[in-house]
Amino acid sequence: MILLEPHNYIIQTTLVDKFSKPTSLDVQFVDFDGVRFHLSTPERKTALLLSMHIHCWDELVRYGALDVIRREYGSLVQAQPEPEYNVSLVIDLDTAPPEGEQRDSFIHSIALMKRNALAAPFELAFKKQKELETSASGQGDLMAIHYRNEEAIYIQAAHDRVTVIFSTVFREETDRIFGRVFLQEFVDARRLPQIQNAPQVLFTNREPPLEIRQVPGLKDSEDVGYVTFVLFPRHFANLNVAAGTISHIELFRDYLHYHIKCSKAYMQSRMRHRVSEFQKVLNRAKTEAASSERKTVTGRTLQTR
Amino acid sequence: MSLLAPIICDNGTGYSKVGFAGNSDPSFVFPTAIATRGSAAQSSRSGPAVPAKPGNLASKRGVEDLDFFIGDEALANAKTPGYGVSYPIRHGQIDNWDYMERYWEQTIFKYLRAEPEDHYFLLTEPPLNPPENREQTAEIFFESFNIQGLYIAVQAVLALAASWSSNRVTDRTLTGTVIDSGDGVTHVIPCAEGYVIGSAIKHIPIAGRDITQFVLNLMRERGEMSQVPPEDQLKVAGKVKENYTYVCQDIVKEFRKYDVEPYKYFERFDGEHSVTGRKYSVDVGYERFLAPEIFFNPEIYSSDFLTPLPEIVDSTIQASPIDVRRGLYKNIVLSGGSTMFQHFDQRLKRDLKQLVGRRLEASAISSGSAQKSSGVEVDVISHKRQRYAVWFGGSLLASLPEFYSSCHTKAQYDEIGPSIGRRYKIFGSAT
Repeated sequence: MILLEPHNYIIQTTLVDKFSKPTSLDVQFVDFDGVRFHLSTPERKTALLLSMHIHCWDELVRYGALDVIRREYGSLVQAQPEPEYNVSLVIDLDTAPPEGEQRDSFIHSIALMKRNALAAPFELAFKKQKELETSASGQGDLMAIHYRNEEAIYIQAAHDRVTVIFSTVFREETDRIFGRVFLQEFVDARRLPQIQNAPQVLFTNREPPLEIRQVPGLKDSEDVGYVTFVLFPRHFANLNVAAGTISHIELFRDYLHYHIKCSKAYMQSRMRHRVSEFQKVLNRAKTEAASSERKTVTGRTLQTR
Repeated sequence: MSLLAPIICDNGTGYSKVGFAGNSDPSFVFPTAIATRGSAAQSSRSGPAVPAKPGNLASKRGVEDLDFFIGDEALANAKTPGYGVSYPIRHGQIDNWDYMERYWEQTIFKYLRAEPEDHYFLLTEPPLNPPENREQTAEIFFESFNIQGLYIAVQAVLALAASWSSNRVTDRTLTGTVIDSGDGVTHVIPCAEGYVIGSAIKHIPIAGRDITQFVLNLMRERGEMSQVPPEDQLKVAGKVKENYTYVCQDIVKEFRKYDVEPYKYFERFDGEHSVTGRKYSVDVGYERFLAPEIFFNPEIYSSDFLTPLPEIVDSTIQASPIDVRRGLYKNIVLSGGSTMFQHFDQRLKRDLKQLVGRRLEASAISSGSAQKSSGVEVDVISHKRQRYAVWFGGSLLASLPEFYSSCHTKAQYDEIGPSIGRRYKIFGSAT
């Protein structure tokens, strides 16, 4: 698995399960970036209530997350979300689409709930870019999404591009080194001829990029890094491409951390292998203890005490 | 962000149960299997792939170490050319750490979709797990995954905690005997105040797999299986075991009941050929009560293991320190899928009571005293969460507020090192 999938596995498997056999249910689970879900059947077995809590909901609403959620889920959206959660969907198993491809895509779209909520600012930026394109100058507002406690995504549309900036914080020294290597790799890998069309990636450590330098409250320390993606119109030319771009870029931070962990696991397995190899060498070097019995003339053995 | 639910990860020999604390069922139950590129045996000999040539990262080495599947997907890909399936856990203990690390990696990122930095973890270990394994686990979780905090609990203790959900349990104690029967082996484990009495643990080589095989043998002998395609026979036997069996109180009476009114007691099982879709149906008869009977009369199935379960339980408790024996008799807890048979608890309780009663009588006679013993209370506790009892117990304990104070945190690990994983505070008992 190289890329993380955009949909939530638990929602998908639970819904598939409940469609075939409705039972009462009450589970809580999470998704990346501190998103909490609550799936329950408060009234009857066939009406599932799926609620989501997301860290930066207020900011997302400002950038039109509610509209995106309404567009995707239509009448499923509850006017009054469950207490402690930001948005709730009611999935009625009786009125859901019939079995087969239709139902699968319905379940899949629900499993994409978090992705859709986070997609709102990106869609807004893409739209803004289209508007600005005609005037050939000017810039949209800088949108900040504080999706984690210390980290944020900044999105800004310009007349010929959309800039997405991730601020990343590494709490661990080793992670920071791995992360730096990875991010540098992103910059370097783009020189390969087969991925010339990929979005441009810039990486700066400590120093915020020009676009967000005026933003107040940026942390200034050694463990902060900024990754800038420059998306050109070809990356969101049609709806499918745009959706793919959003799905991937949203999970960028998790993708990075996943791969840091994978690399560590890989290194550890190399090290374990090496240790066992060295152990073999050491074992070979062991001298055999001379164990020949020494006897006296009369046949008695000598013992050392 | 520290308020996200702890993750409970119960990796067993056959199946892994993973999910979030506070829920009543694990989010995922899948086989502890991993399918990797290259055959399982070959890769362990030559070690992981090495960098081939300098250049930038993508060309430095391949991504073979990311090319693997776990759980059900691993089994589905078992026959794909180039993949080999291996089971990283043997006899409850982790056998291949490389595979296990990658197994956890994918469990967390693909299935649970959690960031390990934001969560506390509760892992389980079998009784008598060497402390080195615990250290190694702590090292992987703290160094590779940077988790917030870790607690490693003994499975038997979690199973005891799970029994608190039963309404028959009044005092929340961590003293009791756990009968844990899964697919491969059955353990009888005495626990005193949350500590396992290692010297008294006993194993029984009869568990789920054997019961299925026994059902299959019985049905073959009666000629029922002739209609069932050979590749489906084991599956049918497994279904029959899960859906129709129960424990009877007296075999002879039960046989007579079946012979007098066969139509009342015989059941029909309808199946479908997994490839051709041809329908078939088989009669389910005596195996309904004979299948679980192999716990109580092992001689009907095996010729090399002949001690019945109640006797094993009794001798386990007799091998424990004398001051906890009363507590062990009073709180016998069932856990695992193979203890789910109906009336299993009643039969075990009855048989144990007889054993204990006989011994008390014998001792009264041999001592010749006129004073009589007040008797020993024997109770077997069966509850609704028995199948995933270990996981459920973990979920229960991890949702208590004191869970966080019993965990070792990342900061403590950084201060002390992997040896911190050797010891964990016992918590959760009411006293």
